[in-house]
Amino acid sequence: MRIDYNLKDKFDFGLIFPVIILYFIGLAAIYSSTYNNPSAQGNFERQIIWGIAALIVFFITYFLPTNTFKLISIPTYLLSVLLLIIVLLIGRRISGAQSWMTIGPIGFQPSEFAKIGTILALSRFLSKRSMDIDSFKDLSITIGIGMLPVLLILLEPDMGTAIVFILFILTIIFWKGISVFAMFVVLSPAFVAVSSLFGLYYFFGALAIILVTLILFRRDLFFSGSIFTLNLASGFFADYVFRALSPHQQSRIQAFIDPMSDPLGSGYNTIQAKVAIGSGGLFGKGFLAGNQTQLQFIPEQWTDFVYCVIGEEFGFIGSIITIALFVFLFMRILKISFSSKDEFLSLAAIGILAVLFTHFMINIGMVLGIMPVIGLPLPFVSYGGSSLLTNMIMLGIVANIYRTRKSFT
Amino acid sequence: MKSEKFASLNRRTIISILIIISAALLGFRLFQMQILNRNSYENKSAGNSIKSIEKIPLRGVMYDRNMNLLVNNIPAYTIRITPDRYNKKLNHLLEAVLEVDSGYIDNILKQYKVYSRFQPIKIKRGVSFDTIAWLEENQEYLPGVDYIVEMHRDYPAGINGSHIFGYIKEVSQRQLNKKNNYYNLGDYIGSKGIEKTYETELRGKKGWNYVLVDSRRKRIGKYRNGLQDLPAVKGSDIVLSIDEDVQRVAEEELKGRTGALVAIEPATGEILALVSAPEYDLSKFSYITPKDFLQKLYNDPRKPLFNRATMSVKPPGSTYKILAAIAALDLGVINTSTTFYCNGGLTIGGRFFKCHGIHGNINVINAIEKSCNSFFYNLIFKIGIDRWADYSRRFGFGLKTGIDIGEENAGLIPDSKYYEKIYGPKWPTSIMASLVIGQGETSVTPLQLAQFTALIANNGVTYLPHLVKGFIDNTGNVVPYNFKKVDVKIDKKVFDEVKEGMFLVVNGEGTATHIRSKEYLIAGKTGTAQNPHGKDHAWFIAFAPYDNPQIAVAVLVENVGFGGTYAAPIAKKIIETYLNGLKENSKVLDNSIVRLDN
Repeated sequence: MRIDYNLKDKFDFGLIFPVIILYFIGLAAIYSSTYNNPSAQGNFERQIIWGIAALIVFFITYFLPTNTFKLISIPTYLLSVLLLIIVLLIGRRISGAQSWMTIGPIGFQPSEFAKIGTILALSRFLSKRSMDIDSFKDLSITIGIGMLPVLLILLEPDMGTAIVFILFILTIIFWKGISVFAMFVVLSPAFVAVSSLFGLYYFFGALAIILVTLILFRRDLFFSGSIFTLNLASGFFADYVFRALSPHQQSRIQAFIDPMSDPLGSGYNTIQAKVAIGSGGLFGKGFLAGNQTQLQFIPEQWTDFVYCVIGEEFGFIGSIITIALFVFLFMRILKISFSSKDEFLSLAAIGILAVLFTHFMINIGMVLGIMPVIGLPLPFVSYGGSSLLTNMIMLGIVANIYRTRKSFT
Repeated sequence: MKSEKFASLNRRTIISILIIISAALLGFRLFQMQILNRNSYENKSAGNSIKSIEKIPLRGVMYDRNMNLLVNNIPAYTIRITPDRYNKKLNHLLEAVLEVDSGYIDNILKQYKVYSRFQPIKIKRGVSFDTIAWLEENQEYLPGVDYIVEMHRDYPAGINGSHIFGYIKEVSQRQLNKKNNYYNLGDYIGSKGIEKTYETELRGKKGWNYVLVDSRRKRIGKYRNGLQDLPAVKGSDIVLSIDEDVQRVAEEELKGRTGALVAIEPATGEILALVSAPEYDLSKFSYITPKDFLQKLYNDPRKPLFNRATMSVKPPGSTYKILAAIAALDLGVINTSTTFYCNGGLTIGGRFFKCHGIHGNINVINAIEKSCNSFFYNLIFKIGIDRWADYSRRFGFGLKTGIDIGEENAGLIPDSKYYEKIYGPKWPTSIMASLVIGQGETSVTPLQLAQFTALIANNGVTYLPHLVKGFIDNTGNVVPYNFKKVDVKIDKKVFDEVKEGMFLVVNGEGTATHIRSKEYLIAGKTGTAQNPHGKDHAWFIAFAPYDNPQIAVAVLVENVGFGGTYAAPIAKKIIETYLNGLKENSKVLDNSIVRLDN
C-alpha cells in the first residue's frame, strides 16, 4: 500500500453521496408516514440504527481485500441456495410469501443474501478463461446457475425478487458479450411468456414475430425449430405459472391492467398512491402536511410506497431530485464497471447495478401506476434493515472495486 | 484480456441509454401527474379525507290556537349497522333482541347495498332503553352495531288528530329519485296531513359538518376548525287553528261511530276541529310502522285511514234546503211572505213526492224551521236546476275547498247538462224535487257543509277553510299565513231571513228543539241522507251564537238514522265547549250574546 495515497483516488465520493442523500430523504419520508401512526412506532428510530449498521457494513466491505469476493463467490452461492431451501421449509410467512427467517432476534430474507451470492457466482463462472458465452453449453450452465435460486424464490412465492434476479442475470450475460442471436434465444421465451398472459391473440402474435426473426437469422433448420418449440412451450408454461400463482398475485396483475376494476381491493393502493403523488403538485404540500400520507390512505407507506410521501410532501421537485440522484448513482456504478480491468469485478458491478436499477424502476413505476404492484422496496429510501444492509454491502463491493481499480491490469 | 465484446463501449452506451430513457419515462409520468393533472388528483385527495356529515335539524312542533302544544319531538333510540364492520352471523341474535321477523335485517341491508359500506344504516327506530342497555353491555361482541338518539313525534295533548297532523315516514325510493332532491335515504318526510303540506316549513334546513377522516373513515378532527360547517336550521313551529279542547270533545263524541265533524270560525275560515271517525293511532306511525298494524288498518271495513271530513261524499239531506232558500230569496223569485201549500206532499210528473207532515200554507222561514219538503218541491221549479247549481258552486259545492291538508273530494252538483248526458234532452224534471231536498245525486263533504254554514253565519263572507294560522319566526312572533277570501256576494238581508229559519229549527218548533241550549243561542238545520245500503246518514249543521256567530259546525254520523237525533247533540256539545272556552279566555263573548230570554 502506498503511503501517499490520495483519498479521492481511493474513495469514490460520487458513489456514497447520492446514497446518503437518498437515505436522508427516506428518513424524512419514514418519519412523516409513521410519527402519528401507532402501528409503526419506532420505525424511524430503527431505520437510523439500521443506517448506522449499514454504514459500518459498507466500510467493512470497502476495506476487504478485493480477492475476497472471488474466493467467497462459490461458497456464498451454495449457502444462498441452502438458505433458500431452508426458508421454504421453516420460514416465516409475511404477507403471503414465505421469505423470512429468524436468527436469534434478527429476521432476514435469504433472497437478499442470495442476490449477492448469485451475482458473485455468475461473475465468477463467466470470467473463466475458457468461457464462450455464445456456446450452447456455457450459456446453459450460466442460465442454470442463475435460475436455480429464481425457482426457489418463485416457490416462496416472491415474484418481485424473482424478476430482479432474472433481470440482473440477463444484464450480466449481456455485459459478458453475448451475441445478438444468443440473446434472442434467451429473451424470446420470456417475451412469448409475457405475451401469452394478455390472451391468445397476443400469444400467436408473439410466436409469429419469433418465427419471422428466426427466418431472418438464417440459422440451420433443426436449431431454429428447437428454439421455436422452446418458445411455444414457454407460452404454455407461463399460462400454467399464472394459474399456479396465489390469487392475490393474480389479482395484482389484473389490477395493473385496470386498477378501477377493484378500487377497494388490489387497485386501492395504486389509486391512492397516484392521488397522493398527483396532488403534490410542483412544490408538494410540505413536510408532514400531506393528507394522503398523514391520514394513512396507503397501508405501510414507509415500505414499498415510500415514494408517495416524497411525491406528496416534496412535490415534483423532490421527486425529480430523487430520480436524478438514482441516475447519478447508476452512471457512477456503470463507469466503475466499465473501467474495471478485472472481468469478474466488472461483471459483479454490472450485476449490482442491475439489482439496484430494477428495484428503482419497478418501485417508482408501480407507485406512478405504470408498472404492476410488485412489492419491491426503493433502495436506500424504503424502511427496512434487510434491504438496506444488502444494498450497502453491494455498494461496498462497488466502492471496493473502485478503490483497487488500479491494482488489476 | 478483455474480449472484443465484453464490456464494450457499445454495451455501456446501450445501458446508459436504457437508464436515461427509463428515468425520463418516470420523469415524464411525474410531470403528467403532478403538473398537468394536478387538479384532478387534488380534488380526489380532498374528497378522500374530508367527509361531510349531515346534521338533521329539529322538526318544527305544532301548537293549537291557544298555544297549547299538540305535536312535539321526543328523543328515541335508533339502532344502526355499519355493513363494513358488521358480521351477518349476528342477524339472528339481533332480530331476536329487536323482536322482529327473521330476515328483517337482511332485507334492510339489501335495500342499502348501493351505498357505501362505511355508512351506518338505520335498522330500527324507537328501540327500548333495555335493548340499548343490552347493546352497551355487549358492544365488543357486536362489531358494526351502534345506536343514535333521534327525535320522534309525540302527541302530548292526548288528542288523536290523525287526519289533521298526518305523519312523517322514511323517504321512499320514488321520492328519492326526484330531481334536486333535498332528501337522503333514511330521512324523514311528511307524508300526510299538515306534516306533508307544511313539510318545507317544518323540516327546517339540513346542516353540514366537515370532518377529516383517515383511510378507515375514522374521524380525526374538524376540517378547518369547523369554519366551513353549515349549522342546521331548526324547522319552524306552526300554530294551528285547531282548538285543543274542541278537538278533544269532538273526538270523544264521535268515538265508536263512523262519521265526521268540522268546526270553523266563520269570520276567518279557521278550522277549530276536524275529526274523521274512526281514527288511527298516529304514534304507531312515528317509528317504522309494524306491517301487521298497517295490514289491519287497510283491511278494516270502517276504513280508519280514510279522511271522511274531507273525502266522504254523501247527499246533504235537508240541510241543503237552505241553499235553495238563499237562491230563491236572492233571485227574488220569492220573498218571506210568499207561501206554498203543503198537504203532505206534491205530485210532480205523475209521481207523488212526500213531505213528512202537513204544513198548510208555509213561507220560507217556517219551511226551513219545519223542514217542509213540499215548499221546496215548489220552489225548485221557480229557481230552475241550472241557477240552483250555480248557487251551489258559489257556496263551494261540487268544488274542492282548497283546505291545506291536500286530500279531499269535490262532491257532485248535477245540472241540466249532467242529466242531458244521461237521459237526453227530455230528462225527467221530477229529479229536481230530489235534488232540492238534498237527496239523489247531490253529494257533498262535511267540510263543504261546514264552509257553507260558516258562510251563512258570516253573511256570505269567509276565508278558505284552513288548519294552520301561521308559523313562529325566530323572534317568537307568529307570522300569519294569508288565505283567499271567499265572498258569495249576496245581500245580508237574505242571510238574515234564512238564519231566522235556522234559529227556529232549534229555538222554535223545528226539528232540533231538543238541543236548545240554556247558555247560547244556536241556529242549525238537520239533515238525513237517504242510504240505500242501510240506515240513513245523520247530518246537522249549526252556528252560534245566533247574533254574533263564533263557530259553525257540520256533523255527519253515518248509518244511524235521523239527523236531529244523532248529529245535533254532538254539534251542541262542540258549540258549548268552544263558546265556554272563549268566555273563559277572552272578552269576545260578553253577556249580550248569552241567551236573551234567560
